[in-house]
Amino acid sequence: MTQNTKNGDPETPPPATETLAALRALVSDRSGLRGARGTVPFGIHDIDTRLAQGGLTLGHLHEIAPAAAGDEPAALGFALALIARHLARIQGEVLVVTARGHPLPYGHGLAGLGLDPGRVLLLEVEGDRDVYRAMEEGLRARGLAAVAGLVDAGLPLGQSRRLHLAAGETDRLLLVLRPAGAESPNVAVTRWRVAAGKALRDRFGCIERPCWQVDLDRSRNGRTGHWLLEWDHAAHRFGLAGALAGHAAETGRDRRAG
Amino acid sequence: MVVAAMEANGLRIVAADEAAWALGLRPGEPLARARARINVPIRVYPADPPADAAALDRLCLWAKRYTPTVAAFGAEEGRDGFFLDIAGASHLFGNESALLADLARRLAANGLAARVAVANTPGCAFALSRHGRGGGVAPGAEAQALQGLDVAALRLAPGQAESLRRLGLRRIGDLAGAPRAPLARRFGENLLLRLDQALGRRPEPLVALEEPHAYFALRGFLDPIARQETIVATATRLMESLTPRLEAAGLGARRLDLTLFRIDGQVRSIGLSLSVPTRCAHQVGRLLDLRLDRLGPALDAGFGFETVRLDVAATGPMRASQIPLVAGGPDAAETGHLVDALRQRIGPSPVRLHPVARHIPERAETARPWKAGDGTGWVFLFPPKADTEKPTISDGRRAHDTPAFKTGRGLADSTSPLDEVIPSLRTPATGPLSRKERGPVAGPLPTPCAEEDRKIPLGPLATMQSKTGANALARQQSSTIGRPPPRPLVLLGRGEAAEDVIALVPDGPPQRFRWRRQVHRIAHAEGPERIADEWWRAPAPPRDYYVVEDEMGRRLWVYREGLFSPQTPVRWFVHGLFA
Repeated sequence: MTQNTKNGDPETPPPATETLAALRALVSDRSGLRGARGTVPFGIHDIDTRLAQGGLTLGHLHEIAPAAAGDEPAALGFALALIARHLARIQGEVLVVTARGHPLPYGHGLAGLGLDPGRVLLLEVEGDRDVYRAMEEGLRARGLAAVAGLVDAGLPLGQSRRLHLAAGETDRLLLVLRPAGAESPNVAVTRWRVAAGKALRDRFGCIERPCWQVDLDRSRNGRTGHWLLEWDHAAHRFGLAGALAGHAAETGRDRRAG
Repeated sequence: MVVAAMEANGLRIVAADEAAWALGLRPGEPLARARARINVPIRVYPADPPADAAALDRLCLWAKRYTPTVAAFGAEEGRDGFFLDIAGASHLFGNESALLADLARRLAANGLAARVAVANTPGCAFALSRHGRGGGVAPGAEAQALQGLDVAALRLAPGQAESLRRLGLRRIGDLAGAPRAPLARRFGENLLLRLDQALGRRPEPLVALEEPHAYFALRGFLDPIARQETIVATATRLMESLTPRLEAAGLGARRLDLTLFRIDGQVRSIGLSLSVPTRCAHQVGRLLDLRLDRLGPALDAGFGFETVRLDVAATGPMRASQIPLVAGGPDAAETGHLVDALRQRIGPSPVRLHPVARHIPERAETARPWKAGDGTGWVFLFPPKADTEKPTISDGRRAHDTPAFKTGRGLADSTSPLDEVIPSLRTPATGPLSRKERGPVAGPLPTPCAEEDRKIPLGPLATMQSKTGANALARQQSSTIGRPPPRPLVLLGRGEAAEDVIALVPDGPPQRFRWRRQVHRIAHAEGPERIADEWWRAPAPPRDYYVVEDEMGRRLWVYREGLFSPQTPVRWFVHGLFA
């Protein structure tokens, strides 16, 4: 194209956005992320624009980790909120595979988070190896909308590749929750770090909605970021808590800064 | 009339009828000697053991009218009778003696001479029916009933009874009194085993007659097979051969038994359970493949299997269904396939959570293995937005759990444990109780007087950040009315003790505590929600639950056990973690 312009082509050069889009398509082809199979958008412009496809891509691997020991419930809540948001749009069930020793979610707590416990299949297995095998089996089955796994150690490269291949051409939301501080290189498309945040208060000062400090540490073909996210379990909607609350004292201390 | 069989030294009598018995003919005597000894012409029939076995099998099948567990006599018992396990079945005929009489009457009507006995152990019943006079033995009286019987009644090896008699041990009573160690040394473990089994000191499992499966397929090989692929392919082929018959009957397989006969006589059996009835051979093959993957070398093919047999052990109805034109909705069968695959490949079965109508948090749900068409009872009603100000009420649990002495209202409006069983006692202002039994659910419910609701204080809501004053308190209460009581995302199996707790007495929320070696400084607390133990069980102290948020923003569900009293130390527990 540049050749044409240099040769004095009367046509105007293509706009920069088109060139960018073409380049992006080229890059995504190279990286094996072929074809958009649908996404789970956050519904927040700031986050969705930083993710390559405008949301969490289905059929790709997403890794979620707590920021520190003790933030595990927050990370689990964030993952289940994502699943609830996905299940609210489509039919199907979710398979949650946990290695032995992880606490199983409490049904009434799931209901309180907006996820119908009747659509959750829980499977407790011996160790990480069985977790990955069960997840692969879940990806192969039809009738599931999402597959999530809670593992004891980091997500190794080999296993992440296997999961990526098993996801193949499916459109499942695929999440892996690993413990804090067990990072390892893998082919996950996004990597999230979740810490507890001060819950959103209602106008009377009572706890209204859960709130998480979410770090997007890795976003393939996108950008990273940090947000304070709140979760509305009734509307299955995320919100930016900081923007609403207005004053920093209520939204909690930013741990990265502190 | 006698029956004779060819043995080593010629024809010998193996059975004799009553007339022959009266003439002094006994089994075991050579036929030629018997003919020479008595001067009466006797009718001799050749023995036919296979026909005898078949007749006994038919008789056993007939005897299933009394109980499902029927075991034919084995070689040691002489293959001429059967055991019935009538535990739990005798009451259908009135009692044990009525069953016995009915059995004897029906056998006699069919021309079968029989002696029936009932006892607590198969050995005792056998001894009574073959060497005694039959009838019943009361539980515990086995030793007494057996002591006068011949030692042969213990089902011993042929030579053993004879050598016991030679030693003077003729009766079972003699044996029971004799020292055990010399007996075991001389006659082997078998003698004591039989004695103990007859007296009920050691168990004796019966090998029940197996009912032939209606659907099975079998394939033999000239060359034995050992590879997994071959076994799976064979099983798939066998299932394919069964499919038309299952289809004609409108059935699908629920449980399959694959039996592999090894060339050296060993038998390997693999059972496959299916969540949803199926006729699909490839699905069966795949499940078997997963199972064999998991078994690995545990299958031990040895030199290979020469015969493969597939039984459909259980069937379920499988109706033809319409294939949807538009591919879409989730299908229970699809999930069933996943459940089966997971069970074969990994072992455990996925579970689903079901609500239970109990208000103790740890008993309010149960996990059950996935089952097709297992609708769960979760009800979803989201609370209205706080600013709509509709007259709403929580699910009744909060109101119920609130102690009456704190609300300042009369007992008529507060709730008592009686409301658990008599919902009509409740006043309308406190909300319908039926909602309560359905989990943490709240929703807009038409209540007659909104203002009345607003005035019900729902227990002292302690908020450390809040300004003091009744006005702030009342506003907080009104904002929590429309919500279900908070429940944590993760519930610990039991409350874990929090240490070094600093809390306001008598009933304030904790301000600081240590749990799992971490100190939590509480910045915000809500509650209490009092949950009392179920009064119809052994009473445990009531718990006052608080939702607390520490300085890091982590939310926990803690409770104080029991009511406050200055004498006893206050104990705090962490019971759940919020997202």
